[in-house]
Amino acid sequence: MEVRVEGGDEFANASYTRICQNIFRDIGLHSNVDNVYLYCNPGEHVFIISVKIGRVPSPITVNDMTIRGDKRLKVTNEKYVPRLLALLWDKYGERVKQLSRLEIGIDLSTEEMQELMKVTVYDPREDLNTRILDAVDRILPEGARVRYTFPSTGRITVIASENPITDEWKRRGEEMVQRISESVSEGGA
Amino acid sequence: MYKIMMFSGGVYKFNELKELIQDIGGFILQEMVMQTETMLHLAFPAEEEGVIKGKVKEIGGKLVDLPLAGAEIIIVAPSLGRHHAVDPMCDIAEFLRRKGAITNMMGLARGVGKRIAQIQVKERKIIEEFDAAVFIFGNFRECIEEKVKLCEGLEVPYIIVGGPEMEIPHYVGGIGRRTERMKRKHEIEKLEEMAEGLRVELDVKRREIEEDPLATSPLFIKELIDMTIPPKAGEELSTIVHLDGLRVKLEPGEEEKVREIEIGKRKLADICEMKRSLYEGYLLKILPEAVTGSVF
Repeated sequence: MEVRVEGGDEFANASYTRICQNIFRDIGLHSNVDNVYLYCNPGEHVFIISVKIGRVPSPITVNDMTIRGDKRLKVTNEKYVPRLLALLWDKYGERVKQLSRLEIGIDLSTEEMQELMKVTVYDPREDLNTRILDAVDRILPEGARVRYTFPSTGRITVIASENPITDEWKRRGEEMVQRISESVSEGGA
Repeated sequence: MYKIMMFSGGVYKFNELKELIQDIGGFILQEMVMQTETMLHLAFPAEEEGVIKGKVKEIGGKLVDLPLAGAEIIIVAPSLGRHHAVDPMCDIAEFLRRKGAITNMMGLARGVGKRIAQIQVKERKIIEEFDAAVFIFGNFRECIEEKVKLCEGLEVPYIIVGGPEMEIPHYVGGIGRRTERMKRKHEIEKLEEMAEGLRVELDVKRREIEEDPLATSPLFIKELIDMTIPPKAGEELSTIVHLDGLRVKLEPGEEEKVREIEIGKRKLADICEMKRSLYEGYLLKILPEAVTGSVF
């Protein structure tokens, strides 16, 4: 993940670069984001952040996180167990029992079991935008509560300020994002 | 004048040290025994330092100076959100505790932003209940310049910390907004610089008190209050020493008992102003000896 911070003084730019890197790492999006651009103008209290979404992992199926046994599933990745149990109880009710921390007893026929193994437990794409917006919220200064977002493909851009956001800043924000997208695609080419 | 230091060492002849402190008219402010390790915060008359050092050398412990001991300090952040906690708020608080201070934290209700940042009258009154305050004001030079105005007119010593290095009174740079713990050498040096700044500010207040001495020492009153109302099981810091008074946490009905405590030939109510704190418990402000006359 590449981070570029501009607009503030030397200290502010360096510390916000570190803040961006740490926050995306804490949220677990470090490898799902290609680059982050942050423009700070503390004088006019305007902050523009633009996040380019990168590769997103493929959906996790029951097969990916469990080993199928005789009337039971052995969990290999505990991270998704709460989602899996909720899904199974919702679908099969009392036929599902949690036998131990890593074992789930399930009374299903062979066909039903085969079907179940293909079911998606968690799709990282589902809440990707929410997680990125959470990171953006943590990065931007707390006082900048007036927000304006503009859509573009594969990119989330937010302008934040404590004052109403003027059309001038919206235009400049769009220009900045345009410039960043071009420079990144040129760099990539 | 009392000197406050921290003893850390083993349990060997540990009771002898405690007895010695009581014999020379000193106090034990905090005591922690962890299996074979002990930690004591000691207050003793400054002229007896040599005696204590001799005893500590004999029993094989360490004696460390606590420059901020006897002061209750509040750390004020623009809010209690995750933008300011746990780093650097808790790093600062922990460091000040290591220097002997009792710390508290506070987030302002409307302290965020630049133009919109405010401090309320009640918040200001709460901050003024403490011996000193540390304000945390972020990474941007322009915002700090604006927010410094919030601290103007405060009646207690204060330090402002922020990111960039700036020429502002009461300001220490290099401790701005961050998302990782302050544990590297240069970061610890910055915290040292901040603690030193606080010590200088508190020393001014200490000297003022020395010039116009209090009717009696807060440490002595703490001892008497703890004897009259023993701390409840599991309760820590029920009586907190300030430079010129105390903060006492009391149950309903205990207030009168405290007022009636006899100190020499006077009652506590005669030599203290007692009022309910806006923050916690009751505040006792000890009057100067010039006002009360001799107590003993």
